Amino acid sequence: MNHISARNAAPLARALLFVLALLLFASPGASIANDEGQTIPQDAEAPDSAEPVEGAPDDRDARMERLEKQNAELLKELRVLRKRVEKLEKPAMAAPGTEEHEAEEATFSKEQAEALEEIKERVELVESETEETKFSILSGLVNVSGYADAEFHFTDDHEEQSRFRIHHLSLFFKKEIQDRWKFFSEVEYEDAPLMEGDDDTALPTDLVEGHGKIFVEQMYIEYRPIIELDVRFGRFLTPAGIWNIYHYPPYVPTQTRPLIVRSVFPQVSDGMQLWNTLTMGGAVLDTHLYVSNGSGNPGKTDFNENKAVGARVNFAPGILDGFDIGGSYYGEKSNSGDRRHSYGAHLRARYGNLTLQGEFAGRKNDMGDGAVDYDNMGAYGQLSYDVGKWTLAGRYDWYDADDSMDDDEIFRYTGAINYHFAHNVVGKLEYDYNEFEDPLMENFHEVIAAIVIAIGDL
Amino acid sequence: VKVALRQIPLIALVLAMLTAIGAVAAPKDDTIAIIVNRSSPVKELGEREIKQIYTNAILRWPEENTPIVIFDLSISDPVRRKFSNAVIGRSPEKVAEDWAHLKITNQAVNPPITLKSQRLIIKRVALKKGAIGYVAKRMIEKDDKVRIVLTIK
Repeated sequence: MNHISARNAAPLARALLFVLALLLFASPGASIANDEGQTIPQDAEAPDSAEPVEGAPDDRDARMERLEKQNAELLKELRVLRKRVEKLEKPAMAAPGTEEHEAEEATFSKEQAEALEEIKERVELVESETEETKFSILSGLVNVSGYADAEFHFTDDHEEQSRFRIHHLSLFFKKEIQDRWKFFSEVEYEDAPLMEGDDDTALPTDLVEGHGKIFVEQMYIEYRPIIELDVRFGRFLTPAGIWNIYHYPPYVPTQTRPLIVRSVFPQVSDGMQLWNTLTMGGAVLDTHLYVSNGSGNPGKTDFNENKAVGARVNFAPGILDGFDIGGSYYGEKSNSGDRRHSYGAHLRARYGNLTLQGEFAGRKNDMGDGAVDYDNMGAYGQLSYDVGKWTLAGRYDWYDADDSMDDDEIFRYTGAINYHFAHNVVGKLEYDYNEFEDPLMENFHEVIAAIVIAIGDL
Repeated sequence: VKVALRQIPLIALVLAMLTAIGAVAAPKDDTIAIIVNRSSPVKELGEREIKQIYTNAILRWPEENTPIVIFDLSISDPVRRKFSNAVIGRSPEKVAEDWAHLKITNQAVNPPITLKSQRLIIKRVALKKGAIGYVAKRMIEKDDKVRIVLTIK
């Protein structure tokens, strides 16, 4: 057996410290180089969102694999060191009471014991830090995710043509700024926008061609002091009902949205939102409260001092699994002095593979310019059934744009089949029949075939 | 030779029986262990509580009032499939879609952190106070600083 005597413990401890110093190049405050040669501080926060998740791109996977390998090697070396430290802790001492024993005791001084203790602590630290290293590297990056879809749109509507459509390319950028501060944005490119100038014109910056849409749909700074509370400053999706928030194509069965969506509550709001989650015995109560510009988003087109206020509550009782019920309110005064009060109710119930989702929303419009007051309102009910990789869905839509007028209601009947090639790749086939109460409007059919993907770490 | 040939079915039968006996005698233990950090005061949890944790109906450990850190395996992992079907009551793909929808809308309160290996889950749960995860029970070694709060056979 290879005993390490107390006499040679001190130089060995120093040697170990030296080796550890080399190994601990990646200790707090130091920095290491990543695969691209960038130097990344090791004491950066390692947010959970930067964890390796399923569906990550190949290059990131490969990088993670390399890092895991490096990490494993480092840990292996550390395990060897730990074993050596353990041996140092229990040196082979001579028999107690002998002169030799006293000499050994003296040699194995208190300082050396402390040094060994320190090494042990460093080993523990390095073990945990090497584990965190890869997450620190990833946290230095902005998290990019999003979705994209391409469609073939067939219609017998005389005002439209059947066509291919590059419908959405939406990119989400997320960044943990600090432990509790986060940046979130969504930039949407709709119909593959094109903007082109021409150098030959008198003004080189003149736009000679442009179509499609580029829209900053969301951009806010988020502060989460505790897990249950979240404050958002900037532009956010108006928290109202279900579809206005949860509408992203990879996760809803249809490519068309219900008629009431964006007709009663605004799509987005510029302002400040407070979101609280209260859990009690398995039940969850979510409350969104917000103040925003109201009509005239963004701020540059808000020409009045009145700000809009809104609220949304959603209750999921723990005893009924997969059941949510809630309500929404939004009040504002428009630039032209119209007062609008929007209200809504929503429900979602899941039973096995069957999901029922429904919303009702209405708005009272008190016209400020002497025009006739009116209400607009609508509702939809959607039933979907998941069977293996397939989702079958049907939806009924109704919308009345002005209750003071006759013959302006619209009805839509939708049927959809989805095939989930993977959890983030969906093929959709949708049929819509649009029926108008107005005899001057012609009913029409639509068929939409789409392929939809979700991008990034979701 | 004829006698030997006649014995082939018998030999095959005996071999098949021995294989079956062997399989019964040494089954692969696929019991799932739900683990928490060893410093946690939580001694045991029920399936319902674990489902509530994994669906964010419980956000904090009641004993300490500290936030729960949830670890999950990747969708393709058979241990996750078993856990998801047994505890959450839905396939991992559907659960992943739900989380993805919440994440893409930035409405996820405390989403599970997905790790690629069971060893990594054990290490992360051991390192992170307030953490919970699940792994095949046979993966847990004596010196892992985790506590089993429930097993699912």
